[in-house]
Amino acid sequence: MNAPIRHVAFTIIAVFALLAVSATYLQAVAGPTYRDDPRNARLIAWRTGRERGTIVTSDGTVIARSDPSPEDQQLFQRSYPEEGTYAHTVGFTSVLFGSRGLEKARSSDLVSDRDSNISGVLNSLLGGDPRPRGLQLSLDHELQAKAEELLADQRGAIVALDPTTGAVLAMVSTPGFDPNGLVGAGAAPEGAELQADPDEPLRDRAINGSYPPGSTFKVITAAAALEAGIASPSTTFPDPIELELPGTTSTIRNFDEGVCADGAAVSLETAFIRSCNTTFAQIGMAVGADGLVATAEAFGFNEPIPFDLDVLTSRIPEAATFDTNPPAMAANAIGQRDVVATPLQMALVAAGIANDGEVMAPYVVAGVFRSDGTIESMTEPVVWRRAVSPATASVLRDLMERAVLSGTGRNASVPGIRIAGKTGTAEVSNSPPHAWFIGFGPVELEEGGRAIALAVIVEAGGEFSESATGGSVAAPMASELFQLYLSGS
Amino acid sequence: MSRNVELGFLAAAVFLGALGIGMVEFTQGNWLGAQVALTFVTFSLAFGSVHLALRAWAPNATPMVLPIAAFLAAIGFIEVYRIDSELAALQRWSFLAAGAGGALTLWLLRSSGVAVLRTYRYIFLAAAVVLLLLPLFPDSWIVHGATVNGSRLWVRLDLPLGGQELSFQPGELAKVFLTIFLASFLAERADAMATVSRRIGPLKIPEPRHLGPVLVAAFAAFGVLIYQRDLGASLLLFALFITMLYVATGRAFYVGTGLALVVLGGVVAYEMFDHVQTRVIAWVDPFSDFTGAGYQTVQGLFAMGSGSLTGSGIGLGRPDLIPAAATDFVFAAVAEELGLAGSIAVIAAYALLVTVGFGIALRARDRFRKYLAAGLSIVVGIQAALILAGVLRVFPITGITLPFMSYGGSSLLASMVIVALLTRISHEERS
Repeated sequence: MNAPIRHVAFTIIAVFALLAVSATYLQAVAGPTYRDDPRNARLIAWRTGRERGTIVTSDGTVIARSDPSPEDQQLFQRSYPEEGTYAHTVGFTSVLFGSRGLEKARSSDLVSDRDSNISGVLNSLLGGDPRPRGLQLSLDHELQAKAEELLADQRGAIVALDPTTGAVLAMVSTPGFDPNGLVGAGAAPEGAELQADPDEPLRDRAINGSYPPGSTFKVITAAAALEAGIASPSTTFPDPIELELPGTTSTIRNFDEGVCADGAAVSLETAFIRSCNTTFAQIGMAVGADGLVATAEAFGFNEPIPFDLDVLTSRIPEAATFDTNPPAMAANAIGQRDVVATPLQMALVAAGIANDGEVMAPYVVAGVFRSDGTIESMTEPVVWRRAVSPATASVLRDLMERAVLSGTGRNASVPGIRIAGKTGTAEVSNSPPHAWFIGFGPVELEEGGRAIALAVIVEAGGEFSESATGGSVAAPMASELFQLYLSGS
Repeated sequence: MSRNVELGFLAAAVFLGALGIGMVEFTQGNWLGAQVALTFVTFSLAFGSVHLALRAWAPNATPMVLPIAAFLAAIGFIEVYRIDSELAALQRWSFLAAGAGGALTLWLLRSSGVAVLRTYRYIFLAAAVVLLLLPLFPDSWIVHGATVNGSRLWVRLDLPLGGQELSFQPGELAKVFLTIFLASFLAERADAMATVSRRIGPLKIPEPRHLGPVLVAAFAAFGVLIYQRDLGASLLLFALFITMLYVATGRAFYVGTGLALVVLGGVVAYEMFDHVQTRVIAWVDPFSDFTGAGYQTVQGLFAMGSGSLTGSGIGLGRPDLIPAAATDFVFAAVAEELGLAGSIAVIAAYALLVTVGFGIALRARDRFRKYLAAGLSIVVGIQAALILAGVLRVFPITGITLPFMSYGGSSLLASMVIVALLTRISHEERS
């Protein structure tokens, strides 16, 4: 009489065992597949709906915030009140398009640890603040907005920083995008359009754009000559209309196709002010590959820049590759051919010279603050590397000031303020040249006074196209930024 | 002695429930408040009253049944509260009513025991049939049916006082009454059904008149399916009939015929009813119609997958994204927030409850008590297994409540009556 009851009992228990196996499969084996399915709204909520910390500029302008969603009490809505102005630096967190910028790099600060792991829970039980941290950036809102306005719809980038601390004051890449359009529902078409755009609006040209530095690289060539002691500003070089390169039939000419000075001899100083290719190709070959590459590396080439965001490494070939190839050596000495640099790297070159030869480690996150507004940590400025001796830096400052006073960089000048700089007009195949300016002001740093070093690049000549030069396109932008930051107008 | 053990485990379950509500409150930024106290008081009253009734009228009953029920109820209530605190407020009243129902059942059986139920078996049958037919009553009657989510399995009672409406699902109680009737009916007829048979070739089949109950079961289940469009209740009733026939006769013939009828009925239902087709498609490939038929299944899979091994933590998942998370899919909510650990705990608790139930049946003194205890265990076991299998995509979704855990007063009341009957039978065999 009991046997059938036992059979039924065993059968039902076996069914429960099967269900336990099934639950184990669904949750432990197949679970991650379901969890990470892009249609899983949890993922969207988890990535975009959690409260994230506020991001403000150095002057307190809010550039990223989380507000409770009106539709769902448990969710937060991320918004970027300044729209595209800080798009590349701040970045975004999107299910469809991934995470970028500081939203990705500093997400451990920006995301609440209340719901992440056991240590977060323990931390909050021990009296820690479980709410997300906020970030204060070193960016200056006025300067950032001005830089964005200057580049307008041209492709290019501007990086400005404080040479004495490494604090980034402005960092703009154009064309840009509005991150608000990528985080909400219905982001798919807008994001796909941005991804397909041949102008690459999503790329942060300031740190991930790689360009031939053109004549701005003459600063490094001059530095190498000064450091090696083979030339001083007054040292003269032959002044041909066309420099024949040893062992080949190729030649180098000046930008205006003429001689640099009088056709007989030209000093390093004059050649720097007038940005003469023929002279600097000679200087480069006189310095030699070892000296030139070593000086470029002293400024940070061939090495990852320590920064809050991942930066493309600026490159110059190894010295050995130039031994058998003098034309390549000459072309690299004037910033063409193989050498490539990011706008941030070139801004650091200017900053290093302004700061007596020491390059400060750049940073854009000035501090981390708690939800109640108290400061958790502040970024301490640190020296990244010594690029050149103070004496060399002093000579270079003088050369660069003269280039702005009476040379190719005249358009960067600001009345009443001593500005130093160097233009560049980088030749590229199948395209108008890139217009560069790097520089800094004031030339003599004052204790407690403001100081700024910057790099401006406008791709393919911008609105000037084929007729563009660094002096005509990039230098005027630099002038406006110097004026705004140093004299407040 | 048994009752003190029971009290200890009950206290643990009640504290578990209150603690869970406290955790939900904490994750929503509230601190321990009235909700925690209310939950503690409600659970203490509901399970305490059944516990006191056991002390008074079934003191020798096993201490295993009530605490397991309380454990499942606590886990379920935490998720219901977490998904919709307004539903949970109503559910508290259901707990009180269910506790009173359980205690009342024990009081009614206090002197004559479950044996008295045999006397009234045809009343139970009639009551069950009426209850099953209630939802078909037209809307103009005081007691009338209501269609919810395409199924007509609800009954609304328009109270003459102030136009209040009271809703309940009569099928939940009907299944208990039917179990009582079947246990009583089979206790008398089983021997005849088991021994008398005729041969057709190599097959030994029962007398045609003994096939009657099987056919009645099939027709009743089909009736429920056709008129009330309730796949879950229909399957549950049919499985109950077939399994109890097997328990009483030990003849695999009934199981074979039953399975054949299920397959046949399933094919016919699939051809006849759109809503059955939809559910089968949602089972075979829920992702093929992600936004439509497969939506609920897929949301359940997302929830369980996101829960992974240890879950998101109480109050920290998103079970509110699952349709019907507080009722049919409450298990997916538990799996998300408590992870595989919670899933296994719940499945194990049902297995344990069913095992205890069958244990009571095995030790019971007479056929009726055996069949009744086995039948009640079968009802709980099959109902839990059906909906768990649906959520876990082992079987199509049948739309039925998870005993003790789902939101719903009728289900809770029926489950508590089952607890009362099982414990009473246990008391009788141990006295």
